[in-house]
Amino acid sequence: MTSKTLAVFRKEVTDTLRDGRTIFAIFVFPFLLYPALLMLMAYIQQKNSDEAKTFAVQVGIVGSAQLPAAAEKVRAVEGVTVVSLEKEPANFDDANVQALLVVPPDLAGLIARGDSVKVELRYKDADNKSSETAKRLSPVLDEIRQALTLQWAKSRGATADAPPALSVEQKDISSKKEVGRYVAALMIPYLLIFMVAAGAMQTAVDATTGEKERSTLETILASAATRGELVLGKVMAVLAASLTGAVTGILGLWISFGILASHISAMQSQSLELSIGPAKLVLLFVTLLPAAIFLSAILVAIGCFARSMREGQTYATYVYMASVFLGLSSFSQGQSVPMKHFFIPILNTALLQREILTDTVQASHAFAAIGSSSLLAAVMIVVAIRLFSNEQVLFRT
Amino acid sequence: MIEVQGLRKTFHDRKKGDIPAVKDVSFVCRPGQVFGLLGRNGAGKTTTLRMLATILSPSAGTAKVAGFDIIEKPAEVRRRIGYLSGDTKLYDRLTGRELLAYFGTLAGMDTAKIPARTEELTGPFGLKDLLDKRIGKMSTGMKQRLSIARVVFHDPEVLIFDEPTSGLDVFGAREVLALVLDLKKKGRTVIFSTHIMTEAERICDEIAIIEKGSILRQGTLAELGAGNGSGSLEDVFVEVVKGETDDV
Repeated sequence: MTSKTLAVFRKEVTDTLRDGRTIFAIFVFPFLLYPALLMLMAYIQQKNSDEAKTFAVQVGIVGSAQLPAAAEKVRAVEGVTVVSLEKEPANFDDANVQALLVVPPDLAGLIARGDSVKVELRYKDADNKSSETAKRLSPVLDEIRQALTLQWAKSRGATADAPPALSVEQKDISSKKEVGRYVAALMIPYLLIFMVAAGAMQTAVDATTGEKERSTLETILASAATRGELVLGKVMAVLAASLTGAVTGILGLWISFGILASHISAMQSQSLELSIGPAKLVLLFVTLLPAAIFLSAILVAIGCFARSMREGQTYATYVYMASVFLGLSSFSQGQSVPMKHFFIPILNTALLQREILTDTVQASHAFAAIGSSSLLAAVMIVVAIRLFSNEQVLFRT
Repeated sequence: MIEVQGLRKTFHDRKKGDIPAVKDVSFVCRPGQVFGLLGRNGAGKTTTLRMLATILSPSAGTAKVAGFDIIEKPAEVRRRIGYLSGDTKLYDRLTGRELLAYFGTLAGMDTAKIPARTEELTGPFGLKDLLDKRIGKMSTGMKQRLSIARVVFHDPEVLIFDEPTSGLDVFGAREVLALVLDLKKKGRTVIFSTHIMTEAERICDEIAIIEKGSILRQGTLAELGAGNGSGSLEDVFVEVVKGETDDV
């Protein structure tokens, strides 16, 4: 390493360290941001974990008379109500249950003959509530197996040579369509937000800080257009870029997993039955719009504030990361999402879209999410216009 | 017409405190006249012209441009001005035609009239080969012709030129000066800032020498004591500025 190289290194470091905003962006902001994000994520997960242990569920038992101990054990689990069923229901929704314990009809005969016995706990991995129920019942299954063994032993006078195959198993009975819906509900809201933020970032910085850096700003400031007209035009351009990014991204995803995967033998196991009707697509778009406007406006405001493309891109990257984090945190939201989460920008959109995709929309959630996002979008547009009208911000060096 | 009355601009810096950039500047620029603002770099020319173009707001005083107050009616002012600075650039990713249409629309022109206006300016400004070419692929001279066409596209009453020849070669600079004289002939009000004495001598009807934000002397070339056998404008400028500052 030559002295010239070191001289260049020293100059660049000095240059960087004398830029207060760079110091904030590189050292202070990440130092505060990451612990804050981690703590928020830990808090949400803890809340979800607590909720998962207590939320009320109904478990159907078919043939409970054959194995009374099973109903007792299941009933003993906190938050679980047992529903005795005569026969297996066509689907969980009809019986209003989240899981189904199926005891074979001729259990006593099977045990007496020494035939294999299989008691099944059926659930749907593609349904959060159902899979959480299965997890909660998992320790009980061993107790049911013990009860079965005891029943077998009694039927043989407790002196049998070898016990029959007695199994108590969990079985995921989600259909491919349900799995597709589950994955879509989990992934699509996050991907839409990720793509909107990515699409908006570059255009926003280019349309604002880019004007400063390329020395074109004065030409539009001296034009007859008002500052508000200029900012709105820019927000709309950023919005168009972000929504285009989201639409093309989802199209690519649908082509990959919905069409290509089912035609390529090596990928067939990864193919999903993604059936999102036009009405749902419209709803997804409508719910995405306020969040996309909010993101576009905040990025334009940041662009107006930043002195250079580098500074603008640094700030925009943090907005992008925060959006991605909020989108991601929708993954870890449990069944009963607190109302206040529908007031958190970006996260509320992801949660509402999840409800849309799983046909569980609650009107209060929709009003809270769309209303608060729209309000924040309007506020951010006003902030962007104020910044763009402030000569101390536009011409600061 | 431009009527400037006691215009001041003070910038605030957290470390340095208040920095006066323009102090109590007053002058009048009439239609059919080129008013020159002559000063060194940092003298306050750009700040004064930015205030007249309503890009910056004055700290005190005011001005009327084309009959409208720059503080009370900035939108009306902007509708009636053309602003060209030597520092301003164009959008590299647009074609010449797209650029003219963009600024015509921003100026409030009827969009239906924009193609005809583009055609009208094509010959006089030599735009034929530029209209469908991306600006990023144009030479400096081409960009300058397009910049000038942009400024006059909406036929403004008042033209504000802030060192418009900076960075141009002799041919580019001549084109700009020819345009300024042409606009003067057409009865437009033109204000022109420069630090190049020969330019000021050639095109300005009246000149204000500005230094450290104040106008030190103002008048025609003859009133300033330049030309017609007396000293050059440069001599006058140096003498006036030297008497005011220790920096030279």
